Order: sequence, then structure tokens, then C-alpha cells
Amino acid sequence: MTEAVLQLRNVTKKIGGRTIVDNLTFDIPAGEVFGFLGPNGAGKTTTIRMIVGLISMTKGEALIKGVSVRNYFELAMTHVGAIVENPEMYKFLTGYQNLALFARRHNGITKERINEVVTMLGLQNRIHEKVKRYSLGMRQRLGVAQAILHRPSLLILDEPTNGLDPAGIRELRDYLRKLTKEEGISVIVSSHLLSEMELMCDRVAIIQGGKLMDIRSLQETRDAAQTKIIIEVDDIPAAEQLLASVFDTARMNVIGDQLELTADKEAIPHITKLLVNAEIEVLGIHAVQKSLEDQFLEITGGEMIV
Amino acid sequence: MSSLSKLIRNENMKIYRRPRTWIMIAFLLLTVALLSGLMNWESYRNPSTDWEQGLIQVNSSMQQELQNNQELNGDQKKQLTEQIKLNEYYLEQGINPRELSLWDYVNNSSSLIILVTILTVIIAADMIAAEFSWGTIKLLLIGPASRTKIMVSKYIATMGFALLLLLLCFGSAFAAGGILEGFDGLSQPLLSVNADGIVQESSMIVDVLQKYGFAVISLIMYVTMAFMISSAFRSSSMAIAFSLLFMLVGNTVTMLLSSYSWVKYLLFANIDLTRYLEGSSPLRPEMTLSFSILMLAIYYLAFQFIAWLLFTKRDVAG
Ligand SMILES: Nc1ncnc2c1ncn2[C@@H]1O[C@H](COP(=O)(O)OP(=O)(O)O)[C@@H](O)[C@H]1O
Ligand SMILES: [Mg+2]
Repeated sequence: MTEAVLQLRNVTKKIGGRTIVDNLTFDIPAGEVFGFLGPNGAGKTTTIRMIVGLISMTKGEALIKGVSVRNYFELAMTHVGAIVENPEMYKFLTGYQNLALFARRHNGITKERINEVVTMLGLQNRIHEKVKRYSLGMRQRLGVAQAILHRPSLLILDEPTNGLDPAGIRELRDYLRKLTKEEGISVIVSSHLLSEMELMCDRVAIIQGGKLMDIRSLQETRDAAQTKIIIEVDDIPAAEQLLASVFDTARMNVIGDQLELTADKEAIPHITKLLVNAEIEVLGIHAVQKSLEDQFLEITGGEMIV
Repeated sequence: MSSLSKLIRNENMKIYRRPRTWIMIAFLLLTVALLSGLMNWESYRNPSTDWEQGLIQVNSSMQQELQNNQELNGDQKKQLTEQIKLNEYYLEQGINPRELSLWDYVNNSSSLIILVTILTVIIAADMIAAEFSWGTIKLLLIGPASRTKIMVSKYIATMGFALLLLLLCFGSAFAAGGILEGFDGLSQPLLSVNADGIVQESSMIVDVLQKYGFAVISLIMYVTMAFMISSAFRSSSMAIAFSLLFMLVGNTVTMLLSSYSWVKYLLFANIDLTRYLEGSSPLRPEMTLSFSILMLAIYYLAFQFIAWLLFTKRDVAG
């Protein structure tokens, strides 16, 4: 894992005696699309607002590329671009005027850079129209354009899929991929929908009730989920002994009257043959596709809306 | 990190790219034109062909008043004597005082600074609150500029707008006066009677600028107050409504309460410094010019400080 682009240290927010974000401590590695996943009201937006300095922290610290947001706000903000909740822009200005306005806050953003970003996000045809005539998807893209003009190391998008249709979500996914590849940007997206995070993120932090529940690599989780073989036989100990000669015992697990084995689906015929040859009665054998959703629901106690 | 001048440019862009701003400017110019037209029409309707005879009559009736009326106090007597002196000077020099010159138009335009103030108050009240109403406050604050810097840029842009309106007010009245009465009135001096009872000439432009100056002081106070209100209310319409309400009702209420001595500590009791000019009196007898200047300075700093606190220290959520 490369150097962390964002470090959270005991980040806590209390409002009126209620703890909304509770001691979040974790690092977000550079070069990834990282998800904040949690049900509505979990504290995702509040955490993001603290990271970008919109609200104060009750306790703790956020470091962007090692720069403290609280102590060196202006410097820290040169490394980050963000859209918090809705992508609101100046509606009486054109898309281009909005970008020019935001570009002016930074040093050395050229016209070429603005045009490059406009093209990258596919806005070139309507960039000189007033923003009030933009669809939500276009405003979203203009928001992202604004957020990456200054080549930040970190792009933060809060619930970017909200209100987008499936095609819009697919586009978002595509240009986020492009950004991480072409601009080397690390991205944080938050969502309450796993199904939308699944294809977008490399890794997700699961947040619930303001607390960090787990951080998972989606690829690893997916791999792990696809390779469980459940074996039902009349004589479990015998089967266990037999299979131990072929498979690593660490990958075997007896649960009730079932034997769970972490292995490829392709191993099923082989296992069946072994068991039959050893005259162990096979009652059932199948690979379980435990979905990501099931796994995440376990972590959050069923509260996730999938 | 953002430079202040670029932030000010951004704020200017937000002001001048809105149609509303240009409607305001057009409204101001139209008002100046209307006022100038009315003045011109009025003097055209009452031509003063026999002005010398008129002045002689006025002077003799004022003389009688001076001699016969026992109830006149010192100030009133002085005023009458000076007016008589001036009129005599007019007659000697053959100057018709009722004939309008370019400067009369410019002088009159100073009464429109209240309109400039109202328009700037609307802009100021909208300056911070609108960002909240539009939801753009988030993007504005997530950038390499501290909140203090953003606030300063907004304040400067607001004052820039006030300055623009003042220049337009002055300039358009000057142009209207020049067009209607000719630009040759430019060198006309201001006549007054000095302490030794001698009629003297002084610069007209200094007099006009003084009028503008006093009006600008109250403009700055009202606009700074509106700016603070903008920072307190996170909705444009509320901020505009409250700012205008304070401005328009504050004065009246202060007048009504002027019998109480604590009234002298109110902003509105101090905001009009022309009360300390000759021929006028402060709201309460114990008030002095330096007291009012001190009060205004305190209010100004308090408005700025509260606006700063509200803008920089509060959470931006929702
Ligand atoms: N300004 C606030 N005052 C009081 N409670 C708040 C405030 N902002 C958020 N909350 C509460 O904090 C919790 C987390 O909110 P939020 O961060 O918006 O969650 P998420 O973005 O994960 O849906 C919610 O229960 C919300 O009601
Ligand atoms: Mg949220």
C-alpha cells in the first residue's frame, strides 16, 4: 500500500450532546477509489464536511497528504476537490464561467487545463450554456470538473449517485475510473447503496452509527465469497479426515452437520469422486455464492439498504 | 492559495453577471434623469424675468422682520442678516440666484444617495446569505482561501458596488446639469457670508463633495450593518428584509424615542453627522460631534467583528 492520501485520527463530532461521528481512525491509500458505505444517517456526510473544513471537529484530526486541515487549511485545500451533497453551482453563470471562477482561486490553472477537463468529462457541447439549464447529471459532471481543475490528490464525492439514472451512474463510474488512471487522483465516494459501490470502489469503509465497522477490499471479499463449497455427508469426521489429505485444513470448517471448504467451484467433481470412492454418503454438495450484500448485511446487522 | 484580488474579481463576477444588478443601475440612472428633468421643468414653468425686483422686495420684507419681530433669537437674526447681505451681493453683481446651474443638479443628486444606500444594502444583505440560499457556500469554502479572506473579498466587492453607484449618481447628475444648463456653469463659485460679515466665494465642488461625504458615512454604516445581517441569516430574503426594515424603521423609532437620554447610544441617533453643521441641531442637546464619531466607530467595529465571528466560526451544515 502506498502512502495514505487521507489520514483520519480520532475524528469525532458531537452536536448537542449526541455523538454523530465517533472516533474514526483510518487511512485512505493513494490511487484507489475508496467508498464510505453506510445507511442513511450513519455520519458519512458529517465526516466529509469535517474533512473539508465545513464544520469543526469536536475531537481529532484529518490530514490530507500529511497536511492538517485544521492548522493549515489553505494548504490542505490545494490537495483536495470535493462535492458535498448536491453539486450546486452559480445558476446565472454558464458552465465555463463557473469553471473560470473556481479556477481563479488556484494558481496556474490555464485555459488549456479548463478545456482539457471539460473534454474529459464530456461537457464540451454545452459548456457555454447557463447552468440553470443543465440536468442533474451534467451539473454533477460540472461539479467534478470544478473539483479536479487544480489536479488535487484527493477527490471527494458525497452520494454522487443520488438522483442519477442507471446510465448516469455508469457514466460516473467510467469517468471516475478514467480520473484515477489519467490524473492519478484518489477518490472517496460515499453511498448508502452497496450495489452502486460494488462496481465503483476498490475498498470500502463501512460506517454505522458514526462508528467504523470494517474496511474491506471488495475484490478480496468477492473472491472469498465465491469459493465456499458446502458439503453435506453422513460421516463428517471421516470426510474431514479424507479431505485433509488433499486440502489445507485451515480452509476447512465444520459448521453443524456441514463441512465448509474454501476452494474453487471446479473442485466439486474431484471432491465428489473422493467421497464416493471412500464410501461416504454424499447428501449434498454445492458452491455457495454468498453475495457481497449478505456479507455487508452481516456487518451492519441488516440495516443496509441494498 | 488564493490571492485577495482574484477573490474580489470572483465576487465582482457574481455581482455584475446578475441581471438584477443592471436593473438597479438603470433604476438609479433613471431616477437622476427624472429628478433633473423635474428641476428643469420647474424653473422653466416659473421664469424669473423680473428677479431683481423680486430680490429687492424680499430684502425689504426681511429688513422689516428684523426690526419689528421681537421674538427672533440670535441665530435667526444672523441668518436673516446674512441672507440680506447675499441678496445685495447678487443685485450688485447681476447674478440671478434662481437661475439653475450645473452645480444645482449635482447638489440635488446628493439627496439620491439614500437610494444608492438602499440599493447597496440589498446587494450587501445578499452577499453572504445568497451563497447559503444557492447552496454554493460549500464550493466557495472548500478552496484554498480562508473564510476571513473570502469575507474580506465580499466586503470589498460590496463597497466597490457602492462606489460605482456613487460615481454614476454624481456623473449622471453632472451630465444632466451640463446638458440642460450648459457646462459653462462649471466655474461658478459658492457664495456665502463669512464670520466678518463679508460675502466670499468658495469652490462649489468642495461643497458638493462635503454633502456626498456626509451621506457616504451613513451609507457605509448601513451597508456594514446589512453585511453583518447577511452573515447572520442564511437566507437572502430574510437578510434583505431585515436590513431594509432596520434602516427604514430605525430612524423613525429613534426620533419617537428622542426624549429618553439612552437614545443617544443608538446607531440612528448618530448616523446623520449633518446635524452638527451650522443651522442644525443634534437629536439630544448633550450630544457632540466627537461623541457621534466615537459611537459610529464603535458600531462599525462591532458590526465587522460580529459578521466575522458568524461567518468564520459557525458550522456550515444543511
Ligand atoms: N447539524 C446537525 N445537527 C444535528 N444533527 C445533525 C446535524 N447534521 C447531521 N445530524 C445528524 O447526524 C446524523 C448523521 O448525518 P449524516 O452525516 O448526514 O449521515 P449520512 O450522510 O451518512 O446519511 C444524522 O442522524 C443526522 O440527523
Ligand atoms: Mg449524507
